[in-house]
Amino acid sequence: MLSVSAALLLTLAWVHQAQTLYFHIGETEKKCFIEEIPDETMVIGKYRTQLWDKQSGSFLPSTPGLGMHVEIKDPDTKIILSRQYGSDGRFTFTSHTPGEHQICLHSNSTKMALFAGGKLRVHLDIQVGEHTNNYPEIAAKDKLTELQLRVRQLLDQVEQIQKEQNYQRYREERFRMTSESTNQRVLWWSIAQTLILIVTGIWQMKHLKSFFEAKKLV
Amino acid sequence: MEVSWVILRVLSVFVALFSDRLVVLARFSQSMDSDFTFTLPPGRRECFYQTMKKDASLEIEYQVLDGAGLDVDFSISSPSGQVLYSDYRKSDGVHTIETEDGDYMLCFDNTFSSVSEKLIFFELILDNMDTDEDPDDWKEYVHGTDILDMKLEDIMDAINNVKARLGKSVQIQTVLRAFEARDRNLQESNFDRVNFWSVINLIVMMLVSGVQVYLVRSLFDDKRKIRT
Repeated sequence: MLSVSAALLLTLAWVHQAQTLYFHIGETEKKCFIEEIPDETMVIGKYRTQLWDKQSGSFLPSTPGLGMHVEIKDPDTKIILSRQYGSDGRFTFTSHTPGEHQICLHSNSTKMALFAGGKLRVHLDIQVGEHTNNYPEIAAKDKLTELQLRVRQLLDQVEQIQKEQNYQRYREERFRMTSESTNQRVLWWSIAQTLILIVTGIWQMKHLKSFFEAKKLV
Repeated sequence: MEVSWVILRVLSVFVALFSDRLVVLARFSQSMDSDFTFTLPPGRRECFYQTMKKDASLEIEYQVLDGAGLDVDFSISSPSGQVLYSDYRKSDGVHTIETEDGDYMLCFDNTFSSVSEKLIFFELILDNMDTDEDPDDWKEYVHGTDILDMKLEDIMDAINNVKARLGKSVQIQTVLRAFEARDRNLQESNFDRVNFWSVINLIVMMLVSGVQVYLVRSLFDDKRKIRT
C-alpha cells in the first residue's frame, strides 16, 4: 500500500515537473525575472537543468559540477539572496517590503568545455503566495479531512487575493500622486516658460534699444 | 469472525484516510498557470518553451510593461516548427491554442529597437493537461458513510465551483496588475520626461536670448563707421 502511494506520488511529481516552462541560457548569460508581490508573501522557485549532449543529439540531465547562481533583489535593489545551487535547485524567500523583486539566474560554469556546442536548458517554476503551501503536508499536520482541506485552500486563496488587492490600492495611490504631480508640473512649467519668454523679450528689446541709443543709431 | 470483521473495518478506514491524501494530490494538477515578468534587452530575441499534451489548451497572454514605444514582436510556433501566430510590434495580445504533443515555442523579439529595453509580462494558462486521469477514481476508495456521501458530494461540488471562480479572480487580478504596472511605468517616464525637457527648454531659452543679444551687439562693436 505504501509503495503504491509512493510510486503514485513520484509519478505525479514527475508529471508536474515535466510540464513547466523552459528556456535556453548561454554560458555567461544572466536571465532575470521580476515578481511584483505584496509584503509577507512567500515565493518558492524550482529549477531543473539539462545540458545539450552533442553525441546523443538531445538534452541530458546536466553534470553535477554545473550549478546555477541565484540572486534575488528586493524593491530597494538590496540583495536578499545570493547563493549557488546545484544542477537542480529550489530557492525560497519571503518578501518584507511590497514591490518588484528581481530573481536572476546565471550558470556558474567556468569551464568552456562543459558548454561546448551549446546551451543549457533550464526548467523554471516560480510559485507565489498560497501556491507555495504544501497542502498534503498541512493536511497531515493538522489532520484535516478532504472537506476541511478544501475549505482551508479556499481561505488561503481568498487571503492572498485580499493581500494583493490591498497592495494594488497602495500602488494606485502612488500612481495617482505621480500623475497629479506630473500634471501640476506641466501646468507650472508652461506658465513659467511663457513668463520667462515675455520677460526675456522685454529685456532684449530694452537692452538693444538703450544700446542703439548709446551708439547713436536711433 | 468478529476479529476479521473488525480488521476489515479498520483497513477500510485506513484506506479511506490514505486515499484522501491521494485524492488531494491528484486534484492539484488540474489547471496550471504560470506568469513571468522579464526584461528583454534591445536587439535581442528571447524564447520560452512549454511542453504540452494532445487535446489540452494553452492560453498565452502578454503585455509590454515598460520601454519606449511599449511594443514587441511575438510569435508562437508548434512542435513541428510551424508558426501559429505572429504579432508585429504589438503592445499586448492574447492567443489560445488547442495543442498537440510536443514543445511549443513562444518568442519575444526586440531586434527592431537598438536602444530601449522592454519589460515584458506573460501568462500561460494550461487546461486539460491531465486527460488520462479519471476524476471519479477516488470514489472506489471511500467505503462506508453512505448517507453522508451524498451530501458530501454536493458540498464538494459547491466548493470546487468556488475554487474555480476564485482561480479566475486570481487570473483577472494578475492581468489587471500588469495593466496597472504598465500605466504606472508610462506615467513615471512621462514625469521624468517633463522634468528633463522643461529644464532643457529653460536653459536653451536663456542661452538663445544671451547669444542673440551678444550677436547683435557684436555687429556694432567693430571699427566700422556706422552711418548716422
